[in-house]
Amino acid sequence: MEPELAIALPAVGAVLTAILHPRPRAALLAGALLGAGGIAAVLLAAPGLASDLLGVSLSVSAMSRTLLLAAAASLALIVAFPPPRADRAMLLAWGLAGIAGMAAIAAAPSLDLVILLTLVIALLHAALGGQRPLAARLRAPALAVALLGAGLVFARFDGSTILARFAAIGLVAGLAAALGTLPYIHEFDPDELTATSPIAWIAFLGPILALAVITRARELIPAAGAIFAAMLIGLGLLNVLWGGLASWLTDKGMSAWHYSFMADWGLVLCAFGILVADGQAAAVLLLFGIVLSRLPLYLWSRQSLRERIQTDRPVNLLAAAMLAGAAPFAGFAARLFLLRGATQLYWPLALVIGVGLLLWLPPSLRLGRSLGTPRGRLALGVAIALSLSVAVGLYPQPLLSLAGL
Amino acid sequence: MTAVAAFAAWLGAAIIVLADGRRGLAAGIGLIAVGFTAIAWSDGVWVGGACLLVGGVVAVIALLRTGPQDWGLMPAGSTPRLILAVAGGILSLWVAASVTTGPGASLRFACLAVLGLMAGRLLQSKAAVPALAGAAGLAIALAGASELGPNDPGFAPYLIAALITAGALLLPAARSHGA
Repeated sequence: MEPELAIALPAVGAVLTAILHPRPRAALLAGALLGAGGIAAVLLAAPGLASDLLGVSLSVSAMSRTLLLAAAASLALIVAFPPPRADRAMLLAWGLAGIAGMAAIAAAPSLDLVILLTLVIALLHAALGGQRPLAARLRAPALAVALLGAGLVFARFDGSTILARFAAIGLVAGLAAALGTLPYIHEFDPDELTATSPIAWIAFLGPILALAVITRARELIPAAGAIFAAMLIGLGLLNVLWGGLASWLTDKGMSAWHYSFMADWGLVLCAFGILVADGQAAAVLLLFGIVLSRLPLYLWSRQSLRERIQTDRPVNLLAAAMLAGAAPFAGFAARLFLLRGATQLYWPLALVIGVGLLLWLPPSLRLGRSLGTPRGRLALGVAIALSLSVAVGLYPQPLLSLAGL
Repeated sequence: MTAVAAFAAWLGAAIIVLADGRRGLAAGIGLIAVGFTAIAWSDGVWVGGACLLVGGVVAVIALLRTGPQDWGLMPAGSTPRLILAVAGGILSLWVAASVTTGPGASLRFACLAVLGLMAGRLLQSKAAVPALAGAAGLAIALAGASELGPNDPGFAPYLIAALITAGALLLPAARSHGA
């Protein structure tokens, strides 16, 4: 019953919070209670154990469970320590809707359902509104759905072995389009609300979707498993290079953050492509960093970016170090795992990734400065995000054990 | 029978690619839904097929009830769309009939053709209604594709696809700006 509750409680919470929006305290209370109930259901769900209450066999894997918990923690951090002038009730409503969608994707028994649920989320996200027209907001995620669907169809065809390779191409291309990484960077408007912008895909929904697609794709096309992994690594390296350079050299501060997410995803794709335990551990830690470190810092820096404030205080340096994956933050442990996995697989790959990691330094300093000087509750939020990253960086094993690694 | 149904699905997708008006889009969605329903029923998937049909009917009614009613078929500058519709159909037919083997060639053709053409439609759409019609077509094709797998997919893909098909065209954005 836990997977059903993990989907239903946040979904009801999102609806109730939106309905009670005129009374913010009641909205926050209802959303927080139902959201906490949903997360409790995720925690209690035995990994891999299926529940069949609705006639559909639902189960949540250990890795998905970890990422759901990280996403919920990120939402709690953002709602408890909101960016200046943010509407907390609406943040919670949108976040809970996202958590419900992510739980549904995580629990779905087949890739067919994952793709259809992605289309549902794409439509609802596009319908949220925003400055870009609906067709523009729907374009990239719907293209992702079509590409993933084509990959799925090719994987099920009987015939030449080349069909499995076409399937791998479709699945990798669809994943890139869903996340908004190269070669399908989502149209980004710096002034758009974060919840309605492509950041929701690349930083919040993306981790669970990527995990669901990649784990199921490996089972679907075992004949083209090596090609699938090689494409993930190739695309990952491309995104590391492009995201790192663009984040460093772009004029716009918000766009620099957007590109930095792409660079992080480049590492995640490389990690997923490295089919040894260290690669998977790196992927989990990197996704944890995207959801629980980079996303909150991006939200908290938006006001300073609008006011063009840049500061060089110790907190900015610490934030930059966390974003760059320096020791002792979680990103450092992730990079160590990644380099060790790459060395096991093919040592020149570790060399290329190692050189690519140098690209994180200049943009991270820039992004750290854009945080401004956090005060009051915001300062506490930044401190918690930094502390969590340090804790996981110093001792990642509990998180990895939770993910079944 | 299934060959005719698959042809109807391709024709519906081609009409969605070629049309900008609500009547044209409604005809396209209706044909896709009828085509995939017939294929599902021929495989004995009665409930799933019925779900797709209901979703398609709701979408058609939603398109025909609001907004300016016109066909908008092949407006000026539609030659690339026409080429896409025809080439997409021929390529899908070649893959389904020659490159791949085994039973279910009609379903393979319908899935490939509709997925490809809807992707093309979504990439070129600037207005909300054609984009939403494209998403609805995608959902129906994905539900149909679930039958290609080795295991019984159950009714869930059909139910979700029907909800998407019906719901997409009932979104507020689909009502306001015509097509």
